[in-house]
Amino acid sequence: MKNLKLKYFLPVVITIVFVIFFSQLLKKDVTKLSSQLIEKPVPTFNMPTLLNDNQSFSTTDVIASDIALVNIWSSWCIPCRSEHEILMLLSKIEGIDLYGINYKDKEDNALDFINKLGNPFKKIGVDNNGRSSMVWGVYGIPETFIIHKGTVIYKHIGPIHMNELEEIILPILGDIL
Amino acid sequence: MNLGNVGNILMLVCLLASLIQSTQLLPKKIDIDYKIFSRLPFYSSLLAFILLIYIFVDSNFNYQLVVNNSHSEKPLIYKIAGAWGNHEGSLLLWILVLTIFNFMFSYSKIEHTDFKKNVTAFQSLMIFGFTLFLLLTSNPFTPTETFVSEGLGLNPVLQDLLLAIHPPILYVGYVGYSLVLSFAIGGMITNKVDKEWAEWLHPWVLTAWIFLTLGIGLGSFWAYYELGWGGYWFWDPVENASLMPWLAGTALFHCVIILKKKNILQSWTILLSILTFSLSLIGTFLVRSGILNSVHTFASDPARGLFILIFLAIILIISFTLYAFKGPLLDNKSEMSLVSKESSILANNWLLLSTLFVVFLGTLYPLGTDLFLQKSTSVGPNYYILSLLPITVLLLFFMIIGPNAKWQSDKISNIILSTNKLFILSLAIIFGFSIYFDELHLTQITLLTLCLTLILVSIKDGLRVNHNYTIIKPSLGKSLAHIGFGLLILSVVANATFAQEKIFQAKVNDILILDDQKFRFDSVEQNKGKNYNSIIATFHLMDNKTILETFKPEIRVYSNPPTVTSETSIIRKFLTDIYVVMNIPENSDFVNVRIHIKPLISFIWLSIILMVIGGMSAIVFRVKLKK
Repeated sequence: MKNLKLKYFLPVVITIVFVIFFSQLLKKDVTKLSSQLIEKPVPTFNMPTLLNDNQSFSTTDVIASDIALVNIWSSWCIPCRSEHEILMLLSKIEGIDLYGINYKDKEDNALDFINKLGNPFKKIGVDNNGRSSMVWGVYGIPETFIIHKGTVIYKHIGPIHMNELEEIILPILGDIL
Repeated sequence: MNLGNVGNILMLVCLLASLIQSTQLLPKKIDIDYKIFSRLPFYSSLLAFILLIYIFVDSNFNYQLVVNNSHSEKPLIYKIAGAWGNHEGSLLLWILVLTIFNFMFSYSKIEHTDFKKNVTAFQSLMIFGFTLFLLLTSNPFTPTETFVSEGLGLNPVLQDLLLAIHPPILYVGYVGYSLVLSFAIGGMITNKVDKEWAEWLHPWVLTAWIFLTLGIGLGSFWAYYELGWGGYWFWDPVENASLMPWLAGTALFHCVIILKKKNILQSWTILLSILTFSLSLIGTFLVRSGILNSVHTFASDPARGLFILIFLAIILIISFTLYAFKGPLLDNKSEMSLVSKESSILANNWLLLSTLFVVFLGTLYPLGTDLFLQKSTSVGPNYYILSLLPITVLLLFFMIIGPNAKWQSDKISNIILSTNKLFILSLAIIFGFSIYFDELHLTQITLLTLCLTLILVSIKDGLRVNHNYTIIKPSLGKSLAHIGFGLLILSVVANATFAQEKIFQAKVNDILILDDQKFRFDSVEQNKGKNYNSIIATFHLMDNKTILETFKPEIRVYSNPPTVTSETSIIRKFLTDIYVVMNIPENSDFVNVRIHIKPLISFIWLSIILMVIGGMSAIVFRVKLKK
C-alpha cells in the first residue's frame, strides 16, 4: 500500500461533501419558498362564490376566522386532486376554517370535482380569469396559505403530501390552535 | 394477461439480467456468457418502450400515465411523444439508452475479453439501479384506480415537434457518458488505461458529445422559437445542468486524443471520465428531485430525489474510491514541454473546467444560500458574462495556437509565424467594421478578432492539402468543430452587441418603428385550431407603400388543460431574425407587441451544426493506431 497518495482521495471526499449537501437540500422542503405575503396582513380581494350565487368571498371572511386556510385549486389540476383528501382531513379539525379559491376553472367541472370528492371548504371563491388571485402572488397551483388572526403566516406551494401534513402543517397549526 | 403486466415482466427481466451481468465485477466471477446478459436488457427494455408507446397511441386510459399525459384528440405524433414527455416514460427511455450503449459495446471488436466483461458489468450495474428506481418509484405501467374515460391532456407548451425529439437526443448524450464511466472502471480494474484504451474510447466519447451538443442546441432553438422568451440561452439551472457535462465531456475527449497520441495523462483522463457522467447524474438529480424548478420540471416527489441521490452516491463513491487506489499507478512518468500541442490542449482543459466551475457555482449558489442562510438569492446572466469573459478570451487564444503547435515541443516563434498574418487580417476586418459602426468596445473587438482568427486559422488548418491534393481527413473534424465554436462565440457577441428590442402598445393601423424599420399593424382575427382557439394578428414590415414581410403572431387558448400560449412569428433572413410576439391584456383595446431584431441568430444554429458535423467526421476519419 505504499503507492497510496492522499491527493487521489480528494475526489471521494468532495463527493461525500456534496452528497451531504444534496441530502440537506432534499430534507429542506423545496415547496417552502418564502412569500412576499408572510407576516403581512391578508391581501384585499373580493370574488363571487361557487356554490351560492348571492354571496361573495372576500378579505373580511378570512379575517373573521381565527385560523383560516386558503387553498387555491382547480379541477384540471392533477396535484389538487391528490391533495384533496388531505384538505378533507384538515376540515375536520375544530377551530380552523378552510376556504377555497377556484382558479381558472369551468363552473361545471369545479362543481363536479366538489360533488365527487367532497367539500372541505366553508366558502369557495371563483376566480375565472386568475386576476383576483394575483394579490395572493399565485404562480402555480395548488397553493395553500395559513392565516392567523388576519396575518399570513405560511405559504405552501404544491400539493400537501401526507408527510408534509404531519411534519409542517400540523406543527404550525398546533402552535396557534 | 394485460399489457401493464407484460411491461412489468419485461422490466423485471431487464432488472434480473443486468443484476446477473453486474456480478462480473466481483473478483470471483461466475461463469456466464457476458454477451447474453449484456444484451438481454436491451431487448426487454426496447419491447417495454414500444409497449408504452402503444398504450399512448391506443389512448388506453387504464393507465395512470396515459390519463395524466395524453388525450384521445391529441395528434398522433404528440401521443407518441407523450410517452416520454413525463417523468416515468422518460426514465424508461433513459434505461433504454443505457442498454443500447451496452448492447452496441458488446459487439465492438475489442479483443480484451476481461476488459469487455468489466465494462458491460459496470454498465449493467447502472442499468440495474435505474430499473430498480423505475419499478419502485416511477412505474409507467401503473393502472388507474378508477375508471377514466378521457385523459388530462399534455401541456400545450410541450406540443411541439422539436420538443418531442429534443429529450431523446439529449438523453443519448447524457447517458452516452455512462459508457465512458464504465470504460474508466473497466480500465482501472483490468489495469488497461493506455493508448489502446483511448483508441477504443474515442468513438464512444465523441458519440456522446455529438448528441449532447445537438440536444443542447435543439433545446436552445426550441426555447428561442417556441417559448417566445426572446433569447436562446437563459442560464436557467436546467440548461446549466446540461452544459456542465458538455464542458467536462469536451475537456475529456481532448484528453483522450492526447492519451491516444502520447500515452500520457492517464489518471487525469480517468478523472474526467468519472466527472463527466457524475455531472450528468447530478443534473438529473437536481431536476428530477424538484430541487430546481423550471419549465423542464416534471411533478416532483422527494422519494425520487432520495433514490437518485443514493444511487448517485453509490456510483460515485465506488468510482472515486477505485480511482484513489488505482490513480497513482496509472501515470507514465513523462515530461511535458511548456510549448507544445499537448500543453495548449491541457491549458484549454483547465479553462473548460474553470467555465464548468463558474456554471456549477452559479447553479448551486442560490441553493446553498437558501439552505444555510435562509435567504433567497438569484444569480443572473451578468455573473456568467463577467466571469466567463476572460476565460473565453484565453480559450479562443489557445484554440488558435494549439492546432498549429507540434506535439512534444515547439518554438513559440513557429506558432506566431503560422498565425500572425491571419490574426492581423482579422484585426483589420473587425477594426474596419468597428469604425463603420462606431460602437464596439475593446472587449468586443478582442473577442470578435479572436473568433475571426480562430475561424480563419481553422479553415486554413482544415483545407491543408497534402501533395496528392486531398484534404487531410483526420484534421477535418477538428477544423469544422473549431470553426463552429469560433462562429458560435462570434455570433453570440455580435448578437449581444447589435440586438434591438422594443415593446409597443398598439392598436390596429398603428405604425411601429424600430431601428428604422416600419411595422404596420393591420388586423386581428379569430381562428380555430384542432384543439385550441386562437387570435391571430397581422403585421406588415413596410418599405414606403410596399409590403416586405408579413408577421402573424398568434395567441392560442387550449382547453385541456386551459393554457394560453404565445406563438412567436419569426422571419429569418440570412443575417437577421425579426421576431414579433404579442399578448392581449384583458379589458383593453390595445395589444402589447414586442418586436426584436436579432442579428446572426441563424449563425448560432449553423455553428452548432458545424460542431456536430465536425464531431461526426472526427469519428469517421479517426486515426487508427498502428499495430
